[in-house]
Amino acid sequence: MKWLGAVLIGPSLWFAVFLGVYGLHGLICGQWGAVDTGGRAALIAAWGLGIAAFLPVLRLLPAAPEHSIDLPRAGLWIGLGATVFTLFPVTITSSCG
Amino acid sequence: MTDIPSPGQTAPADTRAATVHIPASPAQRALPLHRLLSQVWANDDGLWGQITAVSHTTLGLRFMATAFVFFAIGGILSMLIRAQLATPDGAFLDTELYNQIFTMHGSIMMFLFAIPMLEGLGIWLLPKMLGTRDMAFPRLTALGYWCYLFGGLIMLTALLFGVAPHDGWFMYTPLSSAEFSPGINADVWLLGVTFVEISAVAAAVEITVTILRQRAPGMRLMEMPLFAWYMLGTSAMMLVGFPPLIAGSVLLEIERAFDWPFFDPARGGDPLLWQHLFWLFGHPEVYIIFLPAAGVMSMMIPVLCRTTILGYGAIVAAILALVFLSFGLWVHHMFTVGIPHMALAFFSAASVLVAVPTAVQVFAWIGTMWKGHPQLHLPMYHILGFFLTFVMGGLTGVMLAIVPFNWQAHDTAFVTAHLHYVLIGGFVFPMMAAATYWMPLMTGKRRIKGLGEAAFWVILIGFHGTFFIMHLTGLMGMPRRIDVYPDNPEWIWLNLTSSIFSFVLTIGFALYALDLILQATLGKRESRDPWGAPTLDWAMPIPSPNYNFASLPTARHLGRDAGDIIVPLARGEGMLPGAPRGRREILVTSVGDATPDHVAMLPGNTALPLVLSSAICVFVLLMLASLYALAGLALLPVAALIWVWVRGMAPQGAMTPVEAAPGLHLPIHHRATTTLGQSGLMAFLVANGTLFSSLLFGLAFLSVVTPGPAAPPSAVSAAQVLPAFALLAAALVLALGAMGWRRAGAAWAGTALNLAALGAVLWLAVQLENPTAHTRDALRAVLTGYIGLHVLVAAGMSAFVADQYRRGEISPEVPGAWPSCNLWQRYTTAVTLITLAVVIAQGVIT
Amino acid sequence: MRSVLFLAVVLTAGCAGPLSTLDPAGPVAGQIAWLWWAMLAGAGVLTLLVLVLVAMGFGGLRPVAARVWTHRLGLWFSLGVLSVTLGAGLWVGERILPRGDAVEVTAHSFQWGWRFGHPDGMGGWIAAEGVLHIPAGEPVDVVVTSADVIHAFWVPRLAGKIDAIPGRENRLRLQADAPGIYAGRSAEFSGVGYAGMTFTVIAHAPDDWPAAIAALRDEAPDD
Repeated sequence: MKWLGAVLIGPSLWFAVFLGVYGLHGLICGQWGAVDTGGRAALIAAWGLGIAAFLPVLRLLPAAPEHSIDLPRAGLWIGLGATVFTLFPVTITSSCG
Repeated sequence: MTDIPSPGQTAPADTRAATVHIPASPAQRALPLHRLLSQVWANDDGLWGQITAVSHTTLGLRFMATAFVFFAIGGILSMLIRAQLATPDGAFLDTELYNQIFTMHGSIMMFLFAIPMLEGLGIWLLPKMLGTRDMAFPRLTALGYWCYLFGGLIMLTALLFGVAPHDGWFMYTPLSSAEFSPGINADVWLLGVTFVEISAVAAAVEITVTILRQRAPGMRLMEMPLFAWYMLGTSAMMLVGFPPLIAGSVLLEIERAFDWPFFDPARGGDPLLWQHLFWLFGHPEVYIIFLPAAGVMSMMIPVLCRTTILGYGAIVAAILALVFLSFGLWVHHMFTVGIPHMALAFFSAASVLVAVPTAVQVFAWIGTMWKGHPQLHLPMYHILGFFLTFVMGGLTGVMLAIVPFNWQAHDTAFVTAHLHYVLIGGFVFPMMAAATYWMPLMTGKRRIKGLGEAAFWVILIGFHGTFFIMHLTGLMGMPRRIDVYPDNPEWIWLNLTSSIFSFVLTIGFALYALDLILQATLGKRESRDPWGAPTLDWAMPIPSPNYNFASLPTARHLGRDAGDIIVPLARGEGMLPGAPRGRREILVTSVGDATPDHVAMLPGNTALPLVLSSAICVFVLLMLASLYALAGLALLPVAALIWVWVRGMAPQGAMTPVEAAPGLHLPIHHRATTTLGQSGLMAFLVANGTLFSSLLFGLAFLSVVTPGPAAPPSAVSAAQVLPAFALLAAALVLALGAMGWRRAGAAWAGTALNLAALGAVLWLAVQLENPTAHTRDALRAVLTGYIGLHVLVAAGMSAFVADQYRRGEISPEVPGAWPSCNLWQRYTTAVTLITLAVVIAQGVIT
Repeated sequence: MRSVLFLAVVLTAGCAGPLSTLDPAGPVAGQIAWLWWAMLAGAGVLTLLVLVLVAMGFGGLRPVAARVWTHRLGLWFSLGVLSVTLGAGLWVGERILPRGDAVEVTAHSFQWGWRFGHPDGMGGWIAAEGVLHIPAGEPVDVVVTSADVIHAFWVPRLAGKIDAIPGRENRLRLQADAPGIYAGRSAEFSGVGYAGMTFTVIAHAPDDWPAAIAALRDEAPDD
């Protein structure tokens, strides 16, 4: 059960960051109708924070036993890759239209 | 070939054997063992035996055969579609009938062919590959089959009477709402598909539990055959993927039947909520279909190339990535609904990214071919067909993930072409390969040379002739789902070409079916382990007996050529040899390392699954007939039968430990810490929790995103409902406390407290505002119903435990139904408290 | 191989047609068509690559480095190709968004037809059934709505499609390079009348457009 939880960390973090950035984007569009410089800075900051959140987990995760695939770590890398790749549009795309 | 290690073996066999040392049982004579096991595990005789069968071999094959029949029916419907489109004025079908036919073609292929086919494959193959004798819940396998069959028959009957669903297989509202689709057509889809989904959830639960708890001792999770990893991914996705569809279908059926607005924009609802719920299921569904196919590829390619799989670890990681990423890209089916560009970009990126784990697998398979020595047996033909077709389908999928191109190609024949490339390339070709590969194990027969190869070439030519050109048809502007195109003569030659080749394709499938039938009937006897495979599924006589293994394989038998371990296992040198106690016994192992945990006794042949699914069928039919009061009454026999069902699991008979191997005494499951049943309940609660989350997602979506009219001010004050809230919360928290106490009195107290909670729910229900007025009130009514149902079941479970005390079935060593009851109570209390918090928060904010 | 075949077929038969996305008549549709041809070329090369690799797999036993296949090809190579594709998609996506000033017209859909609204220059709207009049050479924003079920507004030679969803307003940018008649249709299944749910877009020279709209007012029934 603990192992399953560890496997879920990476994808769950991705999900959380995705939700956070997506929600923030919706909030900014709903309030101001466009993402200005400040809004974009906030979005990029949220994205960066999300990426940063992976680093301590990657460090703290105990190594898998020998002769075994380190699936929790693979899950973390998958989550990190997905966070970087799927949310990088916050840096370039225009937003509320 | 004995030096070939098991695909996916990462640790040398000796370290594995050291983890779990189990002494060999003394060898016996094989024939008496076989006779005894056959007697215990066989189906009853004749037709009655088919009705009462619970064996995974029987039911897995029957699932697959039934799915193939539905494939043929869906194929005939596609022929009608192609005949209609062959000419621009298509006087062949009238539009209403045409709409029913393409809707049924899609629905049948998805829900009555692909999903049941992969379930059947998993049910048939997994126990053999993992080294056990049956699935975790044999009666549930049978229940799933009957629900699938009855649901499918309801939909087919509707087609025969001309009242089949006609809104397209994704049933977009408001087209599928009561206003625009009066009549029962849409209800047939919503109720029929949901009925069939019972079998999907059932299969997902038992596949999960079987893979996690029934592997041969020593077959660690990290070393199990890749097919098991793929099916674990599939079943996890089914547990999380199907509930949004079920939630959406239930809401839409309630809207159609009782006019509660969930999708009606005039009353705060939103048609887009349906699309979100549908595609939250619909996109993972594509991977649910692809993963098992990829699983059989990963098993067959190494064997047919005389080598081991390349990159086992990378493939497992790729499965993990697919499982998660596929839940983050459903919006790519909705790129044209009007979503801001940045949001589109997120989902576009996620959709593109999902191609990476797919590429990892494809290259791992090609690398395996490089590493080994591929042999051009018939399954390899279909594998090559897979590579050609699926790669092209995957690439058009990447194109469709690119938003601007999607805006042009969406809902055109280009998408039709893409999805057929993916589904036929990524599912049908691997399944055809798998069928030819495992036919000897199913039938014990050798195939007749030549016909299979011919069928392959006809299918390949027919398929690409039909669908390759269809990409162009779509880019030339032809939308899907139109029946005539009198103003567009430029599409005529394209459509005519597709139509002609589609008949070639049909001939190919007919030849393929003929080949299988000839092999099953006229084929010569095949020898055991014909492929020289290193997996347990071939370490048994062919055709496989109902009990699979005369004695269960252990670490000593893993990673070896199947041909070398058939005899030792048949002579009872593994665990649990024979059936000396006259019971259907299997071994339950731990999740990670597969160390022996306890011995489970599985139920025998029974007609109960058929009876229960018939009772559910009566309910569905009464709902279809709009006889809602009677339908409510029809739930009583369902509840009674479920009680009888669970009674069948009650502790009885000798409770003495079983000597599973010399000197190794294992408890029987009534005295085990975590039984298969509890694992199954946990898996079910994951699905149930997703359903609940889907309802909350709906609530959040409708209150935050939907632009519709605000809810009218509430006529009920907080002071009026708070006492009921308090009573409900208090009763459930106290009931939870009672569960920890484990006495007869606690069971009675739990029953009483849950009944009090039920009273509070009813009190709330009478205070509900008119649910037809606004979506807010409709959602609150649905949540009230959801909680009421769970509290009712909790009361029933407490009463069941109290009844077990009365019968003297529970003792300090034998917990009976306590752990399951406790688990359910915890879930019920949690969802109730969450719901109360959400409703209070909603009231405070607005 | 098949992609080459595809190209040959396309070149011989021609891509023209009143609803053809491959026969663009404006900058929005033009950019998307360009994107398609680029992706087709890439997909052709990739398909060929995979098929050659599969064929070479039949060459017999040889030492193979697992990570080359799973990591270098499976992960990094595919990630590189996909990043370029996604980048191109976002770039084109940005350029076809409704940004900056544009003429605004409305498209109201129903089972089974279209009613278009044109600005009369005085804050009012002039309606026309089944025919949308736009000025050529200028960006036009179409505001799309629905009276009943979901439809989709699509003029393939001018732009991509956007859904008409009851309860919502969606906006689509399109532009015709030259005056002419362009075919449009609904692209979202809507029941028995779906196949016939077509319309026409007439692009006028910018100077003629006001007169064309004024003429509509004279034809329009009073309502």
